[in-house]
Amino acid sequence: MDYTILFLILMGCPLGAAFLMALLPSKMTPRAVYAAIHVIELAGVAVSGLVLVVSAFMGNDIFVVGEWFHIDGLSALFLGLIAVIAPCTGVYSLPYIKHDVEDGKLGPSQVKQYYLFYGLFVFSMILAVTSNNIIMMWVSVEATTLSTVFLVGVYRTKLALEAAWKYVIVCTAGVAFGMFGTLLIYANAADVMADAHQAVFWTAILPNAPLMDHSLMMIAFVFAAIGFGTKAGLFPMHTWLPDAHSEAPSPVSALLSGVLLKCAILIVLRFFILTAANVGDIFPQVVLLILGVLSVVYAAFEVYRQNDLKRKLAYSSCENIGLIAVCFGIGGPLGIIAGLVHCIAHGLTKALMFCLSGNVMMKYHTRDLSKISGIISVAPVTGVLFVAGCLALAGFPPFALFVSEMLMILAGVAAQAWWVLAVVLVALVVVIMALVHMITGAALGKASEEVKRGDVSPLALAPEVIFLALIVLLGVALPGPLAGSIEDASAIVMVYEDENPANGNLFVDALEALGAQEQPEFNDAMDVSDVSEETEEVLE
Amino acid sequence: MDMIGYPLVNALGACLIITSMTVVLAKTMRASAFLYSFQSLMLVAILASLGFVTSSSELFTWSATAFVTKVVLVPAILLFTLKKIGGDAHADLLPKINSMKAVALVAVEVFVCFVAVSGIELPTAAEVKPTLAVALAHFFIGLTCIVIQRSIFKQIFGYCLMENGSHVALALLAPQAPELVEIGVATDAIFAVIILSVLVWRMGHYAHTLDADDLCELKG
Repeated sequence: MDYTILFLILMGCPLGAAFLMALLPSKMTPRAVYAAIHVIELAGVAVSGLVLVVSAFMGNDIFVVGEWFHIDGLSALFLGLIAVIAPCTGVYSLPYIKHDVEDGKLGPSQVKQYYLFYGLFVFSMILAVTSNNIIMMWVSVEATTLSTVFLVGVYRTKLALEAAWKYVIVCTAGVAFGMFGTLLIYANAADVMADAHQAVFWTAILPNAPLMDHSLMMIAFVFAAIGFGTKAGLFPMHTWLPDAHSEAPSPVSALLSGVLLKCAILIVLRFFILTAANVGDIFPQVVLLILGVLSVVYAAFEVYRQNDLKRKLAYSSCENIGLIAVCFGIGGPLGIIAGLVHCIAHGLTKALMFCLSGNVMMKYHTRDLSKISGIISVAPVTGVLFVAGCLALAGFPPFALFVSEMLMILAGVAAQAWWVLAVVLVALVVVIMALVHMITGAALGKASEEVKRGDVSPLALAPEVIFLALIVLLGVALPGPLAGSIEDASAIVMVYEDENPANGNLFVDALEALGAQEQPEFNDAMDVSDVSEETEEVLE
Repeated sequence: MDMIGYPLVNALGACLIITSMTVVLAKTMRASAFLYSFQSLMLVAILASLGFVTSSSELFTWSATAFVTKVVLVPAILLFTLKKIGGDAHADLLPKINSMKAVALVAVEVFVCFVAVSGIELPTAAEVKPTLAVALAHFFIGLTCIVIQRSIFKQIFGYCLMENGSHVALALLAPQAPELVEIGVATDAIFAVIILSVLVWRMGHYAHTLDADDLCELKG
């Protein structure tokens, strides 16, 4: 089946809408016109994106424009996140922007700027997850930064502009490291491949990866992990994240945290796969484990310390990205599955929480948690969603993050990564304390008389209800097709191993991994001599 | 041709380091913009000479696009932004460290990059290892420029230098890459400079400062 038309709709909707909005005069065009174009654009993204995702879930390996674009089981998961979260936060934008206009925070040109760059942002993320050309992957990640700068700084206050400046400088400088990593891999691949023109395509490099120079691959992976890790918000390159997430409008924060960070993780994963196929999985796992554990520990204490609602959530994103890196760092089928499930679960949960922070700001006109209390009595639906969101973020059942965190723990137990588990679990306890404190203080505390009673508009609540329903659904019973696709995606990540990691059932995998006898000691497995042994095996 | 070609590429690589230092050390932003234009001319020369040496037609196209984008467009955008900022804010701010320390720092970076590149065995870049080291060093000089400058306008030059380093590395390591890739990279750089310039102008217009030390309210 030819998916070109569908793919063109997916890419063309946000890009075309952005161009159309750019042509409209900002002062004479009513806000409703931008909103209408915005809704049509996102409907196109949702429908075409989900059809492509379902096709990929059914086992189709989709190539478009020759080999330039590729949707496999792995990228389909991330494209699915875009196709679900971007339209929902897009709908949430409508009442949010209306409120900001009525509050005098946004003028006509800023409204145009918001909707225009929202489309470009979605387009650049789609480009990042579907690109099969490794240099275009870098270009698209850079494009995600450039398209979001004016979204972060849309309020044009000194703080918003400061956040936008830090964001663009740190990310462009950081992602430039990724460019070097990408070039090293290209040059390395061009040396061993018969057709150098094919060396830009990830799918063409992968079968040749074992033949490439090992030291160069390791250097390239470190560059890529630093470069794209900056974009993902991994410690210590995370400095842009709390500023940008807190100063951006809430729907943008939701999209940044829920989707963009995961897009960067996907690119890191692509490089992880190539490196693992070349030097074995120990080296890239150790790099991710170090970055992941540092991120989790640092961010967990910052989540506890912050008194600004959105900065708290931003540091929580840093902590969760760290958890994803830890999952991939632990490795094995369970670790990879845990990481992928966590990407989806955190994406939905954080999108919910940032949208809820928008509700809170619409009611209280502040992000300062010392001034926010009694959300449940002020805005009951928002309050209930807020409590549920906090519990979901803390990893309580029956929410999706409980599943991914349990899988991570099982993976750690199976790999006997005791020190990693101990450190991460302590950090998770700190995060739980911070979130429970937020529930008791902000949601259940005594409401101020000055705050007007009544919930936000149903249009603002609807996307949040959808997010919560999906989070509960994934937490209670991972739908069969999604579970299958996660296993397919984990098989792609573990392509460097001979055996297919999945048995067709996540919990069977978990039990088998736990029951496995004579597992190698994890710390022993990190021995450098093992790297060279694996390398020899790969070469053989 | 190889006897002259590769030494010429390496010599032009050395010129890149010198010109990038002048961009970092220039006292006024106007001077930095013109010096950056001159430096980009060196980059164009490297791309063209690499094109001769490797017989890669792609590299001639790259040199032409680099001339238009980096020698002409980027400096023009930066000079236009400087004019737009006008009296809104003071762009010519002294760096956080003096010139001697900056030169010493760059010298260390260049040395480390030469050592790092000497350990790499890559047939594609075997003849141009010094230039590859220069490209890597260029990248770090740009990073240094971003870190040591107080003026956020000058930090844009840091980004431009990093980008030039990446461009040279791309030409050295991927001379046969499709033109569309190079166009993507070049377009990306132009958009980045435009966006950074607009942001700097807005900072001057709305916050009346271009001093990085004044932009430290978001902390913790």
